[in-house]
Amino acid sequence: MTATSVERPSTTSPRPSSGPGFGAVLRSEWLKLSTVRSTWWTLAATFVLGAGLTVLICWGNAEWLAGGDADESPGSFITWGMMFAQISAAILGALAVTTEYSTGMIRSSLAAVPSRGRVLAAKSLVVTTVLFVVGTLTALAGYAGGNYFLDREGIGIALEGDMLRAVVGGGLFVAGIGLFSVAVGFLLRHTAATISVVLALMLILGNMANLVPGTLGEWLVKLMPGNAGSAVSMVVPFNPMLLEPWTGFAVFAFETGALLALAHVLLRRRDA
Amino acid sequence: MIRAHALTKRFPGKDGDRVAVDGIDFVVEPGRVTGFLGPNGAGKSTTMRMILGLDAPTSGTVSVNGHRYAAAQAPLREIGALLDAHAIHPGRSARDHLRWMAASNGIPTTRVGEVLDLVGLESVAGQRAGRFSLGMGQRLGIAAAMLGDPPVVVLDEPVNGLDPEGIRWVRTFARQLADEGRTVFVSSHLMSEMSLMADHLIVIGRGRILADCSMGDFMTDHAASYVRVKAPALTEVGRLLQSRDAEVEMVASATGQGSELRVTGLDAPAIGEAVAARGLVLHELTLVRSSLEDAFMALTADSVEFHAGSASLQGSAR
Repeated sequence: MTATSVERPSTTSPRPSSGPGFGAVLRSEWLKLSTVRSTWWTLAATFVLGAGLTVLICWGNAEWLAGGDADESPGSFITWGMMFAQISAAILGALAVTTEYSTGMIRSSLAAVPSRGRVLAAKSLVVTTVLFVVGTLTALAGYAGGNYFLDREGIGIALEGDMLRAVVGGGLFVAGIGLFSVAVGFLLRHTAATISVVLALMLILGNMANLVPGTLGEWLVKLMPGNAGSAVSMVVPFNPMLLEPWTGFAVFAFETGALLALAHVLLRRRDA
Repeated sequence: MIRAHALTKRFPGKDGDRVAVDGIDFVVEPGRVTGFLGPNGAGKSTTMRMILGLDAPTSGTVSVNGHRYAAAQAPLREIGALLDAHAIHPGRSARDHLRWMAASNGIPTTRVGEVLDLVGLESVAGQRAGRFSLGMGQRLGIAAAMLGDPPVVVLDEPVNGLDPEGIRWVRTFARQLADEGRTVFVSSHLMSEMSLMADHLIVIGRGRILADCSMGDFMTDHAASYVRVKAPALTEVGRLLQSRDAEVEMVASATGQGSELRVTGLDAPAIGEAVAARGLVLHELTLVRSSLEDAFMALTADSVEFHAGSASLQGSAR
């Protein structure tokens, strides 16, 4: 195990006028994401929870929904599992960032790509794309399985209009949560803190906003990121207070964008 | 080549700023191994992080091959660094770790196999890095540093925690890189290690440069030497040597039996001849060179952040 030969360094420092571009950084971020097991576990969990729970709840409630005394719409059930898929999406987004800090690998990353904006952009794009694809497939599988039971009771939903929007919206919502988590991860640089904060914001504070009285509470509910972003993934929301699907998603996108901008500023300013 | 100018780093703290690096200037030249030596907390790692653009200097500049690190298009082709053997995701295999790094700088994947071969890790390249021993981790870190075949190589404490075989390997490797004309900058808090590896020394203490010279000059300037003389007629010999302009100090022997003279300013042959010319008898005439470790301790004694009691080594001489 001795170094027998090291090739000679080029005498002039090899500086191609156009170095490796953003594509190279994207490729390296994809390699990082795809070469750790936690990515595949969280993606599998996203699919199993998202599609599985939708199928399960449709199977359990199809008969009741088809009956005369149902006070809920089948449209509220057909993407129900996505509420849980968002948990694993949040974890995936957090881990993609925070494990770099917990392992010290961020120093390797930023030494390899000194442009920190590029690292943030490439990681964001890779996590968002992967989650959009997996999220959409999850929503589609949940629809296919769930609708089988609804169809049997004669209350099936065609894959068009709001239903189609909700399937694609499921992918968008899950991808958005992942991106939100990436931003929080760069801000907090700690795995447990990031996951706790994102899930508390999405699931707990989103519901606790109901406790604030009056119109203030109403608007808090509407504007909390998890609430605003989720409407796009539902045909008929359980919560009638939510913003319209695309309006809500725009609010969620704005909130995520603001966090990313803050993460960008701090990532550039802080020592690695 | 690495060039630092008035490089300064302050970390804000509760009771005022802590100065980690205090306006240092230095140049690391190609073709030799430059040792960066200092006690723990002297500012070595902070300096290395600033070279790599990981920490921003509070003031001053540092450049690699004539430009700021962050301006490099493909930095891994300009400078390779081993900063921390643990800067690796434990769940990722050695090969995958090198693959993402190569991809980020547009380095062909075939190079990954080459550097794995170079450090002797090819047989375990598929294993998760978390299972690696400290020595294997260091080798992986060095493989990563060599990915872009860079003209400048920076190694932060590369022998920390290595077994003797690993230490020898790193030493040979650094030597070889310098012989190929590369700039090699190696930090350590162990003088003994540096004396075996480096041609040139930059000594840092409390954020300031204490010495910047060749290893040979460092020895001459800082490693004090004296001639130990034992003789039955010690006082007489002492007076004789003093009359020849030597500095003579009589101390109790380290063995606890009798006394001895410590003579500086006159070398052993001259002492022997002078004593013989007077017809006196010598029992011992020995050149004593204090070790580099002693020289380093003496140089940095005032700059060590945390003393373990009194670290004075000269105490016994008085």
